[in-house]
Amino acid sequence: MAAHYGRLRRLCRLLLGDPQEAEDVVQEVFLKAHEAERLARSPMDWGAWLTRVAVNGCRDRRRAGGWMRFRLRSTHIDDLPLVADTPAPSEAAISEETRRRIWAAFRDLPRRQQEVFALRYIEEQPTTDVAQALGLSPGSVKRHLYRAVRHLRRALGDAR
Amino acid sequence: MSPCLSDDALERVHADLGSIAERAHLAGCAACTGRSRLMRRDLELITAVLRETREPLTQVTPARRRWIPAAVGLSMAALALLVWVEVVVWRAVTPVPATMQPQEVAAILSDVSASLFSVNGDPVPAAADDSPLTLEGMARDVDSSLTGDEP
Repeated sequence: MAAHYGRLRRLCRLLLGDPQEAEDVVQEVFLKAHEAERLARSPMDWGAWLTRVAVNGCRDRRRAGGWMRFRLRSTHIDDLPLVADTPAPSEAAISEETRRRIWAAFRDLPRRQQEVFALRYIEEQPTTDVAQALGLSPGSVKRHLYRAVRHLRRALGDAR
Repeated sequence: MSPCLSDDALERVHADLGSIAERAHLAGCAACTGRSRLMRRDLELITAVLRETREPLTQVTPARRRWIPAAVGLSMAALALLVWVEVVVWRAVTPVPATMQPQEVAAILSDVSASLFSVNGDPVPAAADDSPLTLEGMARDVDSSLTGDEP
């Protein structure tokens, strides 16, 4: 379970854009996992199960909507970058403008395309697993992925 | 050999949506393979940014402000509906209050004055008189009633 914590946290952060909300969803996911284990309803594949529950949890949060109003206010103190903080090598290598554009383009994607892209490229799951986690056909996953990649690449092209 | 693939076609192939011919071309074309490699590098950069960098703190993005024009439009429609109801429907269904016309009032008044100042108890009905009511006329009526002369 612990091995999945960081992965789910990153996934939820990506889908929600709010670290506190992401943390809450991950907590809920592990509570549900604990409940499933207690009731002897453990899934065959914990990874896929956790991913599916996490994605559904993020969808519920997004649907509830109100959290967005408090997004800036709810940024945890640990997540705020320090003024004199030295950027990570990955951040230093990529220009501020490029990062800003990529993040903006990602946030601009429809919810489904964000989910597909995050699972396929960030989580590096095979197309069939992504389709299973999101309840889509593999063909649909590929189409969402194609549109998402095209949109993100255009944003990157504009930044050059 | 078929012409080189467009960017769109390359992206389709990359998403595993390309046709057999497109995939065959990509496998045999050095230029397209090079472009495909660049595309993969772009994707690695995008993935690295999303995976390893913090999301910049931004204000509400335009996508989340899409409700504003809709709200303005709905408000305008509601206002127009309100005005229409007030002007057309409400006025049409509201009965006009029963007020008397000035001629009717004048006729009643002259009847009353004729009755008050009648000498023989048989006033001339004012309604029969179609001439417009004036102060001089009324004074003449009163005089004639008092003196018993015909006006």
